[in-house]
Formats: sequence, structure tokens, C-alpha cells
Amino acid sequence: MAVEMKLPPVLDIIRGNIVKHGNPLALKGAEVASWAKRLSLPAQGEILFYTGGEYQLVPFIDSLVKTMTHMDQGGKGFSLMMGVRNILDKAGINAEKIYASVLAKDKERFNNVCYKAAVILQELGYDLCYGGEQELYSGALLYELGYWQDLREYGQKVVQSLKQSGAKTIVCLSPHAAEVFKLVYPKLVKGFQIEVRTFVEMVWEKRDKLPAVKFDDSVVIHDSCRLARELGIDQELRDIMESVGAAVREPMRSRKWTTCCGGPGKLLFPEISHKIADRRIGELEETGAGVILTSCPYCLAALQGGTKEGSETGVEDLIEFLYRGFAV
Amino acid sequence: MSGDLQKEFGDYTKNLNRASKDTNIETAISRAVKAYRATVSDAMERYPHTPDLAAEVRQIKTDSIANNDALLQQAMESVERNKGKAFYARDKQQALEIVAEIIGKEKIVVKGKSMLGEELHLREYLEEKGNEVWESDLGEFILQLKHDRPMHILSPAIHVPREQVAEIFSKFFGREVPPDIAQEVAIVKDFLRDKYFKAHVGISSANVVAADTGAMVIIENEGNIRLSTAAPPVHIVVVGIEKIVPTFQESMKVAEVTWRYAQYGVPSYVSMISGPSKTGDIEKVTTYGAHGPREFYVVFVDNGRTTMAQDELFSQALHCLRCGGCMYECPVFQVTAGNFGHTYLGGIGSVWTAFVAGGLEKAAPLLYTCLRCGRCVERCPMQIDVPAMVGELRNRIVNGEEKEIGLDSQAS
Ligand code: SF4
Repeated sequence: MAVEMKLPPVLDIIRGNIVKHGNPLALKGAEVASWAKRLSLPAQGEILFYTGGEYQLVPFIDSLVKTMTHMDQGGKGFSLMMGVRNILDKAGINAEKIYASVLAKDKERFNNVCYKAAVILQELGYDLCYGGEQELYSGALLYELGYWQDLREYGQKVVQSLKQSGAKTIVCLSPHAAEVFKLVYPKLVKGFQIEVRTFVEMVWEKRDKLPAVKFDDSVVIHDSCRLARELGIDQELRDIMESVGAAVREPMRSRKWTTCCGGPGKLLFPEISHKIADRRIGELEETGAGVILTSCPYCLAALQGGTKEGSETGVEDLIEFLYRGFAV
Repeated sequence: MSGDLQKEFGDYTKNLNRASKDTNIETAISRAVKAYRATVSDAMERYPHTPDLAAEVRQIKTDSIANNDALLQQAMESVERNKGKAFYARDKQQALEIVAEIIGKEKIVVKGKSMLGEELHLREYLEEKGNEVWESDLGEFILQLKHDRPMHILSPAIHVPREQVAEIFSKFFGREVPPDIAQEVAIVKDFLRDKYFKAHVGISSANVVAADTGAMVIIENEGNIRLSTAAPPVHIVVVGIEKIVPTFQESMKVAEVTWRYAQYGVPSYVSMISGPSKTGDIEKVTTYGAHGPREFYVVFVDNGRTTMAQDELFSQALHCLRCGGCMYECPVFQVTAGNFGHTYLGGIGSVWTAFVAGGLEKAAPLLYTCLRCGRCVERCPMQIDVPAMVGELRNRIVNGEEKEIGLDSQAS
């Protein structure tokens, strides 16, 4: 018996974008891969550097959510009922304009995360290849939102594109990509045999080669749910911090007990999502640390969005923090 | 099945957003979360065998659910052997009719707190049949007067501060009740005491049922269960079939784990009820209805539980002890309370709602609210994998219930 239920259109838009364009927001391949120009990474090799377009996507999501929440002032659940495209049309602006409205500095920051990650891994002695404009999003959101049938088909395309690299190992920047490749693909997609690693694990293995990070203050680690609970990676982050000489403070909820940043709720329940991020920021700031560190694009975006104007505490991705050591 | 979920989603979202701005909820839940974490960690320190016992209970529950048919039959036989009357209700309607039939019309009924009661809308049904029904749990009593629904499974009125309670009581009792908790408790005590002794029927649920002995194990702190199951001449237990375990010994293990994760070192009262009150003190002639009820009925309710039990992934949902631990750790629940729920609350509640309390349509907004962050699994004494079940139910919403779309192990 087929269940025919109309879900909020925003979900279907995301689904369509992934399936048709290989990216949840239909970003163009050139946009997603622009960060790599400076590095000219080969398309084939042993270790495939995989961004999945996720860090690059983050400022766009925020911009969309801001628009949706803005349009939703009446509290009518507007964003859900209308869907992203409709809202944008109704407001007299098209999606491309919204995309264009993302601040250049935000785009640059998140694109740079990918660049920095690649440089760090190279400096640690890893030989990377990269799919460039051909790289496809992992499909983690298809899994997350229940579009499993679509993921079965789309996953085949992803696997084909990964295979073209000839790589034995894939290193994922986003824990969501790592999770879906490692835990879901083997059960849903045929012919997936690549070893899946996270950026954190790769760095951890060679952490004695990391340059020290000069940072007078302490950091507080926000464990991402997927990394800590699904992938069991938490001590590694502390070890890495020790290697670079950074003092770590622990929030009242961390590691396997970490508090979600609220990010997963952003598309459907932006207000709730924001409130949850706010509260998590509170827990992290309570430690008095100078910087909140995370290792997930969505946590980074959600926590950044949750910090109050004028807050003393910065939010950085682990990648950005480690790169401080290389930048001097 | 079909439906336009957009309206459901719209209304539900409005409600969630409103709740997230409600300072009553914020204060109450913040306090509750803090207290929960502190008392549970104290209790774990004082009773360090608890996690091991929880592991044992997981096995007991797994085996019991796998063997539910036989245990149900055994439990029913035990109840009858003890001179009670046992019923099996396939669905909600049947359960309601059985209970209404036992009670009849124009009776006074006192009732203990029960999620199953909420699932069945038991009080409303009995009231429609012309009975006077009183919730005897203080929190539920407040909600009954407020025409509201529970916002937490253990502390149903968690979102109502004393000032609001005073207002509600002043209106109901027709005199000024000050916003003083002790006085608020006292006035309800007086009022209900009268009802217990006038009541024709007491209704309770049970936290665990032992099949071998037919013992109903009921955990509480207020003492309202003791009174409502002892004072009226008739006691009806309405309990889900998933609560049955093989032996009395095992039922005690389940009970201890339940209350421990419900933040009690030990609860004030645990009742073990297995039949009508009886005496043989005069000439050794057994006579029923000595001090307690003369009649004892147990209604075992299925209402979708067997379907759950037969599903490889979802049978684990039946292990839920309703300790409430997961809710305190849920980031969404922490800002919205039971508004993230439909009869059953939170992530585990979205699964229960899908199977026994409204189906996939009612569950859909909840299923898409869950962050799938997984912290509830860490807290849960039964390690119930809520995120996995939520994922599969989303898949069923999108793709229908054809099995071959779900995860399998042979793909690669
Ligand atoms: S799901 Fe687990 S933690 Fe939540 S109420 Fe049930 S037993 Fe308790």
C-alpha cells in the first residue's frame, strides 16, 4: 500500500536538486570546485579528497533560511507550506538572486575551509586527488529525509564518479558524508568498496607532524553528533589539540553526550533550530573558552548563527584552527 | 492512506514555535532537566548495579516481546486463576467497550495516570457514557481541569507553574486558592479523598505484568494509585500487552530499572496487585471484597502492538519502559516539551504514534522534527535506536511501506 502524503515542498526541492544537479541547492560544479584552482589536484590517485560540496553550501543554506524566516514573520508556517522557490518567487526575487546575495566574505570563508583542509593533509604527507567539478554530493540528505529509493539510484551515480578517481580511500570533510558512505551505502548501493575516512582520523594519525598553533586562550570542543555517536570519534579531537598545544575545556555535555547544534532542523523548523543552537552556544560559552571548535559544516554554520552580536567567543572549524599553524 | 500533510505541518509548526517562546515551559523544563541529571547520577552512584541490571532487562524485554503471544495467554490464565477476569482487546474501540461494559453508566470512577489511557482517550469515552471520572494523579488532575494534554510522561503538568495552578483551582473550587504549592496539594487531597471512597470503580495501568503469577506491578510516588486501586469496590487494570514478562522475579528487575531511570532511587510506593481483595478469617471461608475491591478486571490492549512486535526494526520500541529519560536529553523536547508529540512524546513517541496513536500521518510532523541526533539512545536504559526507526518511518512516508526499499545487508 503506497502512502501518498504531501510533504512540505522544501523537502522535495532539496531532493530534486540532489538527484538532478548533484547538489542540494543546485550549486554549479564550477562554484563548488572553485576553491581548488590554486592547488591543481589530479583527478586520479590513491586518496580521494571529498568535500561533497558541503562546506561550500553552508552560506547559501543560511541565506535561504534567513529569507524563509523573514517571510515567515506572520508565524503561519509559511516556509513549510510554500517551499523555497515559491517564497522566492512571491517575494519577487529568484533563486539566482538569493544565491548572488550571499556575502562574498561568507562564500570565501567556507570555500577556504576546503582549501585549508587540502593543504593540511598535503603538508602531513598525504597525496590527494580530487573530483573537481565532477564531484557529486553524497546524498546524505536523501537518506536523512527518507528518500531512500532515490538514494539507491543516485548512489550508483556517486559510486561511479568516485570510482573514476581510482582511489582506494576517500577522505570526507563532513561527518555526514562519512556516515552515509560508511554506514548506509553498503546497505543501499551496490558495488561500494572504497575505504571511508574522515579528515579528523587522517590528521590524528599524523598529528605528531602538526605545527603548533599559537593561541593564548583555550578552546572548547563541540563534538558533532555524527562524529561522536555514529562514528565514535571524540578522543581524537582532544589528542589533536594536545599535539598543537591548545588547552581544551569541556562543556557540561560532550563526547557521546554532546548536544546537537540544531542544524538538522534548520530547513523545516528554523525557529526551533535557532533556539537549540542558542542554548548549545550557552553551554559552550559557559566554559569561558576563547574559541568554539567543531568539525562539521552544519555545526559550524548553526553555531556561528547562534552566537550573539558582539560575543567574545569565536566559532571555528577544526580545519581553520589547525591551519593557523601552517599560515605563519 | 493519503493526506495533505502541509496543513498538519503548518499547525504543528505554529504550536512548536509558540512553545519555544513560552517562558513557563522554558523555566520548568530547564529546572527539570537539571534536577533529572543530578538525581539520576546520584542514584547511579548509590546503586551502581543499575546499568548491568538494565542490560539484563533488555534481554528480558527482547525475549518477552518475541514470546508475547504465549505470555499473554499465560498472564490471562493467571489472572483468572486468581479470581480476576482477563480480557484481550484487539484495538482501541474494543478496549473502550470492554471497560465501559464493566463500568456501566452514572458511576464515579477514579483513575491513575496512564499513557495507555491517553492513547485510548479513556476518560473522555467514559465521560461520554455518562460517568463521572477523576484523574487522581495531581498533574493529570490539573490538566483535566485545564482541558490540556500531558507535556511529559512522568510530570504531565510540567508546563503549568503554581500561579496558573492557583488560578485553575480557584475557579474550580469556587474559592480563592493561593499560589502556594502545599496548599494546592492539600486542597486536591481533600477533594479526591472523598471521591476515592465514593467511587464505584478505580482504574489503573501497570508498569509490568508477571505472567506466571498474574501480578500487576505499579510504581508511584503520590499514593493516589494505592487509594484508587484499594478503596473502590471494583478495580480495572488497563495495560498494554508489551508489559508482560515471564516471572515475578523478572518483573521486579524491570520495575527497578524503570524507576531508577525515572530518577528515583526508590519510589515511595510499589503496588503488586494480582486479584480481588479476600479473607478467610471467618471459618476459613474465602470471601471476596474484604477491605479492597471485590472485583478485579484486567484488560490487555493490543491496538497495533502486535504489528510492531512482528517488525524486525520496530519491535524494540516495545521495550520502552516509559522512564522518560530520553525526553530530558532531547534538544527539541527541552525547548518545546510535549508539543513535540502526539499522545506519545519525543522521538520514541513519534514511533509509538505511528503504530498505535494516529498512524503515519499524525506521526509525520513529529518524525520530521526529530534531529536524529541520537543522544536519547545514550540515555535509554533499553538502548532503543530511535534515529534508525525515525529514518525508516520517513522512508515509509516517502516511498510507501514496500519492504525492499529499506536497508538491507546484501547490497554490496
Ligand atoms: S525510549 Fe528509553 S529512555 Fe525513553 S522513555 Fe522509553 S525506556 Fe525510557
